[in-house]
Amino acid sequence: MENKRIHDLEEIKGFVFDIQHYAIHDGPGIRTTVFLSGCPLKCLWCQNPESQELYPQLFFSYDKCTGCGKCISVCTQNAISQNGSVVQTDRNLCKICGKCVTICPNEARTIIGKEITAGEVLNEVSSDKMFYQESNGGVTLSGGEVLVQHEFSCAILELCKNENIHTAIETSGYGSWETLKNVLTFTDLVLFDFKHFDDSEHIKFTGVSNETILENAKKIYHELKIPIVARLPIIPDCNDSIMNIKQTANFISTMLDKLIKVHLLPYNNLGEQKHKNLEQSWNGFSGTIPSDKKMNEITKILESYGLSVKIGG
Amino acid sequence: MNDRIKRMIDRLKVDKYPLCIEKFRLATQTLAETEGEPYIIRRAKILSNVLNNINIFIEQDELFAGAGASKPFGLEIDYEYGTWTQDEIDSLKQEQYSITAQEEAELHVLNAKFNDRNLVSAMGEVLYENERLRPFITSGLILPPWKGKKVGSGGGYAQSGLGLGPGFFLVGVDYEKMLSEGSLKIISQAQEELERIKDSNGESLEKQNFLQSVIIVHKAIIAFANRYAQLAQEIASTEKDSTRKKELERIAQACKWVPANPARDFFEALQSFWFTFLLICPSPTSAAGRFDQYMYPFYKKDKNAGKINDDEVLELLEFLRIKNIKLNRVSGKANRKKNSGMAKWHNWTIGGVTRDGKDATNELTYLLLEAAKQTQIPHHTLTLRVHDNTPIELMQKALEVIRTGLGMPAFVNDKSYIEFFRKNGLSLEDSREYIMTGCLDGNIPALSRTVSIGMFVVSLAFDIFMHNGINPNNDELVGINTGNVEDMETYQEFKAAFYKQLEYLLDLAGERNNVELLAQRQFFPDPFRSSLMKDAIKEGKDLLNRKMPFENGSVICTIGAINVADSLAAVKKLVYEDKKVTMKELVAALDADWTGYEDLRKMFLNAPKYGNDDDYVDSIAADLYKFVEQTLAKKDSAYGGKIITTAISITSHQPGGALTGATPDGRRKGEILADGSMSPMHGMDKKGPTAIIKSACKIDQDSYQATLLNMKFHPSSLKTNEDLQKLSFLIKAYFKNGGKHVQFNVIDKKTLQDAQITPEKHRDIVVRVAGYSAYFTVLGKEVQDEVIERTELNLV
Repeated sequence: MENKRIHDLEEIKGFVFDIQHYAIHDGPGIRTTVFLSGCPLKCLWCQNPESQELYPQLFFSYDKCTGCGKCISVCTQNAISQNGSVVQTDRNLCKICGKCVTICPNEARTIIGKEITAGEVLNEVSSDKMFYQESNGGVTLSGGEVLVQHEFSCAILELCKNENIHTAIETSGYGSWETLKNVLTFTDLVLFDFKHFDDSEHIKFTGVSNETILENAKKIYHELKIPIVARLPIIPDCNDSIMNIKQTANFISTMLDKLIKVHLLPYNNLGEQKHKNLEQSWNGFSGTIPSDKKMNEITKILESYGLSVKIGG
Repeated sequence: MNDRIKRMIDRLKVDKYPLCIEKFRLATQTLAETEGEPYIIRRAKILSNVLNNINIFIEQDELFAGAGASKPFGLEIDYEYGTWTQDEIDSLKQEQYSITAQEEAELHVLNAKFNDRNLVSAMGEVLYENERLRPFITSGLILPPWKGKKVGSGGGYAQSGLGLGPGFFLVGVDYEKMLSEGSLKIISQAQEELERIKDSNGESLEKQNFLQSVIIVHKAIIAFANRYAQLAQEIASTEKDSTRKKELERIAQACKWVPANPARDFFEALQSFWFTFLLICPSPTSAAGRFDQYMYPFYKKDKNAGKINDDEVLELLEFLRIKNIKLNRVSGKANRKKNSGMAKWHNWTIGGVTRDGKDATNELTYLLLEAAKQTQIPHHTLTLRVHDNTPIELMQKALEVIRTGLGMPAFVNDKSYIEFFRKNGLSLEDSREYIMTGCLDGNIPALSRTVSIGMFVVSLAFDIFMHNGINPNNDELVGINTGNVEDMETYQEFKAAFYKQLEYLLDLAGERNNVELLAQRQFFPDPFRSSLMKDAIKEGKDLLNRKMPFENGSVICTIGAINVADSLAAVKKLVYEDKKVTMKELVAALDADWTGYEDLRKMFLNAPKYGNDDDYVDSIAADLYKFVEQTLAKKDSAYGGKIITTAISITSHQPGGALTGATPDGRRKGEILADGSMSPMHGMDKKGPTAIIKSACKIDQDSYQATLLNMKFHPSSLKTNEDLQKLSFLIKAYFKNGGKHVQFNVIDKKTLQDAQITPEKHRDIVVRVAGYSAYFTVLGKEVQDEVIERTELNLV
């Protein structure tokens, strides 16, 4: 690739809320997973609510707060108030300046997400090249939804490919085909989420229709011939009915391919906690962690469609 | 694991371990009888008296014979290392040790007779008369600090094992010679050599004495085995159970034949090995060497002949672990704290390459791992040698053992160890035979041994430098005046002055090692071990009295170097580059143990830290490690050769930290130091395992005898075979890029509970909850509690 093109790509900026090294459940080998901010879906059970917004957010670990009030004195927006020992931040007033984060003696306040360039992401990712080489690993872009910041995603992926790093994206599949196609130009593997097969249920749980999503899955696999791993979040009482599992299995095995590997991701309640940390009003969703028995039952159904299944990513 | 092994494991749970004085009594008796004879001959006769007369027994269910003390689970008082005083005995009785009133009274009589002819008092004579060394050894720069001329660091030792103790030196003997030639052959070789030199005038008396002593000890081990043969036969004759009777007869037959003669099958080889090992002990650091290699021909032969199957071999290897854990060890109060009780390092080195560079993995390699996995007995230790062609299946098998939380095997890199021995002049073939003696200390069986390892606290040296050569713990001048740090205008000047101080203190450490080397040579001639070193008979010298093909005798081990590297980086950045703080302020903050300087401390905590793949600080760490090694490599060892450097903290980062004041890395006074040598300071690595490895790869580890990297994983990262495979790729990547060693701790419930209370010490714990990973300490309390619960149930 020309130096100028590399330079231009490296300058593209975007919002990232985490970069995890030694990610071993996000594709083959040892990987670095880059979590991009912003998501058009609003899944009831969302485990990363901090990823829904594009912009950085204040994350408040209320159980570490001792109510000392130092944050109140430094806040220039008067956004922080205290009622007894309970400290609250008015998110409409907060400008995410970070002064309260620096002053907090108990590390109860952090800012999640920051704006960085694709070049900086590349540096962080390519520092682990020796591990990718040994394990046939690489980079995985996750989110949020990688299609939200598609230019940024494209830039990172193209830069990685230029360095011979294997690339994967984890996506809900929700986005225009044109956008998706662009991102996939530099993608070796797609980890594709199937949240619900029934469209009305899908709308109910995620806020969007799955029509485009399913269409996109077929196109990725048949038109672009990019390998897919199907990822099924298993959320009790939402999408774990035998009917839904069967329909999903049927879609994957007949409309895509029996060779597609399925990863089951059992629900965990990290999200519920994080909503409190973001001082958001909670949608009231309260899930239970699926039992091993349930997970095995679902595995058996999927296997009966000829699919190979793994619990966990 | 079969029922017999289960039964025996159940019987390991005893309340009290008996302290025994029989060995001490027999030794004192021999010393009285042999007054005036050459010391090496007297030592040989002590061993002979012990092996001919100590109480022996075969316990229920035992598969092969040989105990390390006169009572089951017993510890024989180790009379030569230090004296057990009344307060030390009292303190032992309050813990899980017992001694009969009669024997306790006799112990004091024996103590008086023995009259402090021990290593500590011999070293004390020299060290306390030397004006430079006295403040040095009492400072704790070499751990533990001396408390008095005659008491050393306090307390004696009691250990199981029948050899001539104490065996703190690290030796890999030639087990192969014992198994394939036997004691009779060694005796006849010694006799021939004696015959040959009888008339020649040129040969020394020393050689004659040595050869005589070799003959005495090998006759004694044969006699010892024969006593067991007889005992087994006696028990067999009244045994009603026919299966058990056969087992006892098998023991009797084997003990009649080995170790006098070459072993004829796997069982005899194992019995011969065990008798040999009992004479290598007492030593907390006994090495079994490449057990899977020298035992393999016997295994293969029996297996091919249909004489033995893998279940039987596994049972024997599991029993070997039971036998090993019965070899106990206890030290004085002060050391007990340092080493947490009954620590010992009986290391079996497995895997690796053969002499001609091929993969050495065999069935025994797997079976030894399986025995550890099934029994969950923490001793003996296993160390897996890894090379480019180590099968991934073997790595996975090893990680399955890790996953159980047993903490073993450790993984070591053939490439880096072999390079170390090559650099020190050994051939490629010999270098490929390296083994772990002690914890991770590399030696070549029969070709090298380590006698003194000074645990040098680099962070205390830094503290002393910050105080212009004065030990801040007692205001005594221990170093040299390298100037007031507040007057140093550039980082280069600051660093150069520190290195000058460090060099001076390392020099003293080398001198102190030499005092120990000479005292060890004087006190501990050991004809048995010496006879199993290369060309022993021809050389005719004790192993502490000859220059070995590779002189690995004097070793200095660095403790807390990572804290110093982090400190140097913080000073460089904040004081000299960014000028955010003056040296005066920093010194005041450190002397106040950061009290009243919390903001300053935060700033220093946030300075670049080793373990995050940050060149700024990693290069400082690399330079410091290189400087220590190169400085010591110029200094002479009393046994010939130069001082060798190693870097394994074992547990010394705790007492080392206790002696070190507040440091500019943000650490408080007395706080524990970074563990190992390649591990970051706890809680300071924030980018996960790959960044730690990247940092460690920047340090030239090949020149070190050993290095140590501890990594922690939550069980959720080790759940599936795929997880284990990925972890083995991580190990291989580390080793291809210069790593020397890595071991894994599986995080348990208790650690997570600690992390809730002191999150700042556990920032590095990553937990994975079904596809999502998070730092444990940033999770909310409710989620943390749930992770803890799942950890306990192993559901994660």
